[in-house]
Amino acid sequence: MVSTIDASARSKALDIIKSSMRELIDQIERGEKPTLVMPKRTLTNTIYDYKHKMLLLGPELQKRSFTDVNEAKKFMQTLLMASIIYDALRNNEYPTIRDLYYRGKHSITYKSIDGKRVSENTWDEQRESDSVIRDLEVLLSVLREDLLILSKEKGKVVGNLVIRSGDDVIDLSKMGHGAYAIEPTPDLIEFVDIDAEYILVVEKDAVFQQLHRYGFWKKNKAILVTSAGQPDRATRRFVRRLSEEYNLPVYILADSDPYGFYIYSVFKAGSITLSYESERLATPTAKFIGVMMTDIFGDSIFRKIIKDREARKTLEEITPGITDLKPKTPYLSESERSNFIIKAKTRDLERAVELIGYRVAEVCIEEKDAKNKIKKKEGLTGYPWFATPQWVRELCIFFNTLSKLEIEAMASKGLKFLADKYIPEKISTGDWID
Amino acid sequence: MLMNQTEEIYRAASPAEFFYRYREIAGFANPVRAMYQTIRELVENALDATDVHGIPPDVKITIRKADETQEFYQITVEDNGIGIPPNIVPNAFGKVLFSSKYAMRQSRGMYGLGVKMVVLYAQMTTGRPVEVITSKANFKRIYYFKLRIDVNKNEPVIIEAGSWRKTRDWHGTIVSVTIEGDWSRAKSRILEYINRTAIVLPYANITLVTPENEIIHYPRIVNTLPKPPVETNPHPHGIDLEILSGLAKNAGFNTIEELLIKSFQGIGDVTAKTILQNAGIDPSKKPSDLTNEELLALVNAIKAYDKFKPPSPKSLSPLGEEIIIAGLKRAYEPEFVTAVSRKPSAYSGHPFIVEVGLSYGGKTPIGEDKPVVLRYANKIPLLYDEASDMVVEVVRDEISWDHYMITFPAPILVLVHVCSTKVPFKGVGKESIADVPELRREVKLAVMEAARELKQYISKKMKEEEAKKKAESIAKYIPEVARSLAIILADESTLQSFKDNISVKLSHIVAKRTGVPLELIQSIVKSIEAEA
Repeated sequence: MVSTIDASARSKALDIIKSSMRELIDQIERGEKPTLVMPKRTLTNTIYDYKHKMLLLGPELQKRSFTDVNEAKKFMQTLLMASIIYDALRNNEYPTIRDLYYRGKHSITYKSIDGKRVSENTWDEQRESDSVIRDLEVLLSVLREDLLILSKEKGKVVGNLVIRSGDDVIDLSKMGHGAYAIEPTPDLIEFVDIDAEYILVVEKDAVFQQLHRYGFWKKNKAILVTSAGQPDRATRRFVRRLSEEYNLPVYILADSDPYGFYIYSVFKAGSITLSYESERLATPTAKFIGVMMTDIFGDSIFRKIIKDREARKTLEEITPGITDLKPKTPYLSESERSNFIIKAKTRDLERAVELIGYRVAEVCIEEKDAKNKIKKKEGLTGYPWFATPQWVRELCIFFNTLSKLEIEAMASKGLKFLADKYIPEKISTGDWID
Repeated sequence: MLMNQTEEIYRAASPAEFFYRYREIAGFANPVRAMYQTIRELVENALDATDVHGIPPDVKITIRKADETQEFYQITVEDNGIGIPPNIVPNAFGKVLFSSKYAMRQSRGMYGLGVKMVVLYAQMTTGRPVEVITSKANFKRIYYFKLRIDVNKNEPVIIEAGSWRKTRDWHGTIVSVTIEGDWSRAKSRILEYINRTAIVLPYANITLVTPENEIIHYPRIVNTLPKPPVETNPHPHGIDLEILSGLAKNAGFNTIEELLIKSFQGIGDVTAKTILQNAGIDPSKKPSDLTNEELLALVNAIKAYDKFKPPSPKSLSPLGEEIIIAGLKRAYEPEFVTAVSRKPSAYSGHPFIVEVGLSYGGKTPIGEDKPVVLRYANKIPLLYDEASDMVVEVVRDEISWDHYMITFPAPILVLVHVCSTKVPFKGVGKESIADVPELRREVKLAVMEAARELKQYISKKMKEEEAKKKAESIAKYIPEVARSLAIILADESTLQSFKDNISVKLSHIVAKRTGVPLELIQSIVKSIEAEA
């Protein structure tokens, strides 16, 4: 049975699609070329909004006319997708993007001007239909979840939180060893009651389970969330809503490597490919509490590097204030370090250059071999939201040590250490990166 | 050495004997070639008797096996031409080098030599005489001859002659010879010759009956004839010592001045006096009294004189663009055809006109890396010695076909017709055209002119194709777009009419935007709906 909130979401989505398509009909009735106008969904039109600290779509618009040879197929695909979604909404269905791909995939056969029978598919790969779904999101200015399109549930949450999902009320503090899987339509969740100080997002599902069984959230009055790797849209939207609606701080705990850093940045600023969703999905107040490179190595390596005038000057040019950073002592001893750290791979190095830019790598890398490996990334300037003194320090240490560390390593030192010392201490002393 | 021998024989033998011995020069080297050559000579005479005199040709060629064991063939060619006066017939068919007229006019056969070679060849291989039936339009009787040539005396021998009353309004000539031939090997060449002849003679009825009783017929499809050539005096620059001596001895003028004025075009009192003065000859001298030295001086003075008007083109009979186009259309049903008839031009005192036809697409034969070339000289197709022909060289090597948007292999054919009072042939075979700079230039210009028109056609066609492709790449999505909009905006009951309405309107919009006819858009849209 369709819940009340589900039903109203459907009728709202139907109206949005209808009114957008009615504009096209008006154009056609007037004999004009039917044209879809939507924000341009390209890298060049993706900008970092310093004020709101998130990735947003820029002001450029894209006109997709049916009579433009290069756009005709995309135009058809966009309308086809709109009609499938419309149909699903009306029939109380919950298609996934894969479903939509299959529902729309069929062949168009026609007799071409040279008399041959030609057949082509509406789309061949899911990449094409996915792209059209993103186009519809920006065209209609809605998220796919608003159109009742489901995706796989990946995120989980536990804590002192009572929600209404559909027509059921669920107490997230009574999930036993399990957890509530965040539904793909988090906007349809109603927060009923909450008793928490902050939200802790853990990248790794395994660490989430350990902290859950350890009773971390009860002890610390936290809402514990995991994205189980790269965060999906629902997890991001859930975290965003919860933090915004109850004004709760959000702390991210991820691996100490460029991929972990990027997961944090997706939570905080949004992703580049889905920048149009940032406004609703990003949590600009999210803080990175670890694992930080300085938690492993302290800051002596970095201080040594910036003793060199040239190096200091180069890094200061990227972001002023690198000499004013608070000193840091490591959480790990020399021997723990050598046991826990993993050697960085080439793709870690390349990812790091993409985040912080080539010049930081050039200054901080000592190993010749590693330097050669990133030569092809020369010229990259990094993402603007990573250009802060703290991130320069973190990545500089990464480049210098060519090491990375997974959160599991911190748990290996002792779950007690992780749950009772590392996390609470970092939060209480403000040892995070904002 | 050989040269000396030849000269000796020439002096000793009659012309008939000379050609009898050296028949390969005239194209009778073997039974295959001889059969082809025989047909050619007879057909060309037939045509010269018709279109040259303004008569739309009806030519019928019949080839019949004439002996059960030997490869003897009776070849009969009938025309509806002007006919031959009976007193002329014996010499016309039985005396080599009979024709001594010296007026200039474009015609197929130049010296009236060919048909005598045919008679000689027939005599040599089968021993059978030539039969001639002829009548002129105003004659009341039809004349019949059976004759052979006395080779030693170079005289006709009449075996049989007769006449009968005309019962119908007939004029023309029927010539019949029996020769040794090789039909199985000559067949394809002969059929090609007839086919190519028909291409430039769409105004003729041509019928060929083969030994297998197959009838190949090219009916007349055009009723206009090329303007017949007008006989003119030769242009002074076209003469040589031999011609001038001949005129001086035989033409019967009182003074050399009179000879010049009356025998050549473009020479009046003043010019004649100037030339004679330059040659140091007294204008009142009797032509037959001129010494060899004086004749040579006169030839040189004429050649040196540069104020003559160009030779008169009245003696020429070009096909004209209309006829070339009609012929190519019938032969190849091309998607594009054009023809260019250049203005008259001249080389060494001989007027000439170059005409070009260009056929593209349809059933035009495919040129692998260069266009196919059809060569014609005075309306005669040239089939042999293609490799050494100047025209072929120009078409294939001097024209950059890629400039004209042709990518080979391509269905493209170039027809080149050179007409002149004296076509400059290369060698004695008269099968290829020699490299004369003035002619080469005209051929090139004519081909380029035709090629430019082809290029315009191709580029226009490509633009249209592009527009159509463009329209197609949009139109094919109309049903899907209309259906999608209908699903969203129409009720179940109005779905179909809503969809049809949008489909029609979108078709109009696409037609308007792409400039492609609405019907084309609609046919694509319909082809999809039929599918669904």
